[in-house]
Amino acid sequence: MPGEKKLRISHVGLRGVVGTGMTAVHVLDFASAFGTFLGPGHVVVGRDPRASGTMIREGVFAALAATGRDVVSLGIVSTPVIQHSIRRLDAAGGISIGASHNSAEWNALKFFGPGGVYLSTAEAGELLDVYHLRKFSFVDWRGVGTIRHDTGAIDAYLDQLADVFDLAALRRFKVVADCCNGTSSLILRRLQERFGFSCVFINAEIEGVDFAHEPATNARMVGLQLAPLMQPLGADAGFLFDVDSDRVAIATEQGQAVSEEVVLPMLADYLLPRGPGKLVITNVSTTALVEEVAARHGGRVVRIPVGRQAAMDALLTYRAEQIAVAGEGTGAVMMPRFRFVYDGIASMLAILSMMLERNEPLSQIVAGYPRYSILKGEVPLSAQRIPALMVSLRDRNAGGRISMSDGIRVDFPGKWFHVRVSQTEPIVRVICEQRGEPPEDLFSGVMEHVRSFA
Amino acid sequence: MPREHLLKIGVSGIRGVVGEFLTPQLASAFAQAFGTYVQARRVVVGRDTRATGPMLQHAVTCGLLAAGCEVVDVGVLPTPTIQIFIASTRAGGGIALTASHNPPEYNALKLFNAQGLFFNQYERNELLDLYHQSEFLQATNNQIRRILPHYDTPPRLHFERVLAHVDAERIRARRFHVALDGVNGAGSVMSVRFLRDILGCELEAISVDPSKPFPRVAEPRPDTLGALSDLVRRTHCDIGFAQDPDGDRLAVADETGRVLDNDDVLALVVDAALERRPGDVVVNLTTSSVIDDVAAAHGRRVLRTPVGEANVVETMQAVDAAIGGEGSNGGVIFPAVHLCRDSYTGMAFLLARMIETGLTASELANRLPRYYRKLGKVGFEHGRLGPMMQALEDAFPGAVLERSDGLKLLLPEGWIHVRASNTEPILRLAAEARSQATLDDLYGQVLRLFEST
Repeated sequence: MPGEKKLRISHVGLRGVVGTGMTAVHVLDFASAFGTFLGPGHVVVGRDPRASGTMIREGVFAALAATGRDVVSLGIVSTPVIQHSIRRLDAAGGISIGASHNSAEWNALKFFGPGGVYLSTAEAGELLDVYHLRKFSFVDWRGVGTIRHDTGAIDAYLDQLADVFDLAALRRFKVVADCCNGTSSLILRRLQERFGFSCVFINAEIEGVDFAHEPATNARMVGLQLAPLMQPLGADAGFLFDVDSDRVAIATEQGQAVSEEVVLPMLADYLLPRGPGKLVITNVSTTALVEEVAARHGGRVVRIPVGRQAAMDALLTYRAEQIAVAGEGTGAVMMPRFRFVYDGIASMLAILSMMLERNEPLSQIVAGYPRYSILKGEVPLSAQRIPALMVSLRDRNAGGRISMSDGIRVDFPGKWFHVRVSQTEPIVRVICEQRGEPPEDLFSGVMEHVRSFA
Repeated sequence: MPREHLLKIGVSGIRGVVGEFLTPQLASAFAQAFGTYVQARRVVVGRDTRATGPMLQHAVTCGLLAAGCEVVDVGVLPTPTIQIFIASTRAGGGIALTASHNPPEYNALKLFNAQGLFFNQYERNELLDLYHQSEFLQATNNQIRRILPHYDTPPRLHFERVLAHVDAERIRARRFHVALDGVNGAGSVMSVRFLRDILGCELEAISVDPSKPFPRVAEPRPDTLGALSDLVRRTHCDIGFAQDPDGDRLAVADETGRVLDNDDVLALVVDAALERRPGDVVVNLTTSSVIDDVAAAHGRRVLRTPVGEANVVETMQAVDAAIGGEGSNGGVIFPAVHLCRDSYTGMAFLLARMIETGLTASELANRLPRYYRKLGKVGFEHGRLGPMMQALEDAFPGAVLERSDGLKLLLPEGWIHVRASNTEPILRLAAEARSQATLDDLYGQVLRLFEST
């Protein structure tokens, strides 16, 4: 029986608990595989502030140099800044060292191709094959790469944001940011210095070991420190970022901690009327509020399996101008004009722009969305029993609209449930949502059925 | 069929051709074993100027941090400078990335203990076992330490140590005219500072750009130092110095441009050292008997060890020697500075000696007893080594035999030393006699013997 997972090597990259799961060997081999796999050109590397990031960075530098890659090191920056720099520097690709919303003892390598885009499933599969084969293209002493440091990445990234958003006009808002000791504080400080952005910081110190709280972007974390500060500070909006700033959660001026599920519908609401794109891409676990909001603007929701890889593959099947926005119920949202990079800072600026254009306080915008209630549960289950469970759930719910792209999702009028297998633990997750009151009956029925397989 | 060792992992560390053989994975794993061996204490890391140095330094730093060590990065420095600094900084040890005199495609990890010395042979075996067992300390996020850059102190410290043993004021006042070939190595920048700024020499320097590749064969030998000889002659220098890429070895050209035999350089430095400090002399088995004559003139004893700096140092430490070294490869070890090969001590002592004796470099060299030496190598196949050594022993029945490193035969007319190389499938041959004719006779006998075995 597999226990708690401490290392995961998959199409998304390498992720693990440093020391007990993920070691220098994994880092060197994976970065060597990436240097072997990539097309010609240099590679951009950045990291989040976790203490283990220095060890991992050294291994990544060594492996890339040994495979003949010149490296541009950005230091401590957010993942969206790394992706922007890959494009700016016309690099062959890049590596982001950081474990995003995971706790401090975790770390991870994320890989990007030219233009800063995430690898497609086919590319990621090829990278995995090189990793497993461990036949790396090390060059001789004449070809070994060099490491160069670039300190201008955040400013260049902000220049791009300034082209899209009216940063001067957004100065009128007083924002509170909970940076969770991560990279968002570096970006917001520069936004403040260069564009007069008005921001009160909490947990802004860059920290490698003890984050002020769990780095998850959800309503519970918003309620911890950020939301209670809103009214005392007289702030207009509060934003909570994960450590590498690709996700965001929000608090209103009245001190409400808004569900993380609302970020994507809100941005769909803002972006659908503005552009030609009418598609909203999201996974099967995300709230049905997305459909309701999309319908207001004649938009359509495309549901895909959970995980970044499925999102990347889905994006490749549409033209960029067909898509209004893509994202998850976790507060990770990407917009076409930022070339589909999950970006918490860009999401924040879009929400502030929405407040500006509608001339409405944040609480009023949020109040415009009907209440949806989600119940979540999990059941430990042997992997062997999962196919039978899925078939049984399908047969029992023939009256609903069934999707089996990732576990099973069944939609009924006004409510739905989704049963899927966790990628990180030997458990099955059950998610149930209903417009209005919590779907107690549906949830307990599904939970009971799942447990009968345990 | 040559059996060239493109990668060697052994008791002296890890050495190989970078790329296919010496990979970042190997360097990192070895460093993590080292970090585990020093129990996650502070470790100093530096390197010579090889193009592969930064890559390997990142790999080694990765392995050390993964073991929980704090890493002190001293950048590009001569190996002796790194060793002296290790001893001064409460570190658990240090790693120098340098393949010393080997060609540029090679690199290696040289490992030092908390005193900045080579580990003794027993410690080296423990470390190697630890590496093979692969059960390393694995630091978690809250145990991973920092990298501290430390670039300025080590050269200053090294200069202070050397200058404590010479009259720098007198050397400055003499305004020597000195030539330097830095081989674009780790000593390039430091040696210019040392000779020109600190010892007040009028300096003619070539190959002192650490960003450029080695312009000559990296090992400083008479046959590789044509450029230095030319420079000395053209600019009428008093003396010329050449270093190897990591600044531990020294070769010397006299004022006529003649590159001195490395054993003679060692003899001159031994003489200078014994003038300053009483004690035993320790050299390897292949070093010339000229050392015995110089030591005898001071009433001092000479002890012989197997070839290899670590072996010489181990004995020097055990007997608290005054001076030591290895003749043929140009390494002088003066423990009062540090128990390591140090070209800076060599340079300072030779300049001081010229002042103290009032002699030129060529006069100093010519004053030494004259020996004739010949070094060479022959290939051999596995299984043939025993019969070859046996035949040698039978051919010289009257010889005194020394077996601690290959076979050395001490004869009334000279000596012969035969040992297997650690890195190549060859036998290294050395012979010495008081006349060229005797030498040719001895060396020829050995060659014929091996051909017929």
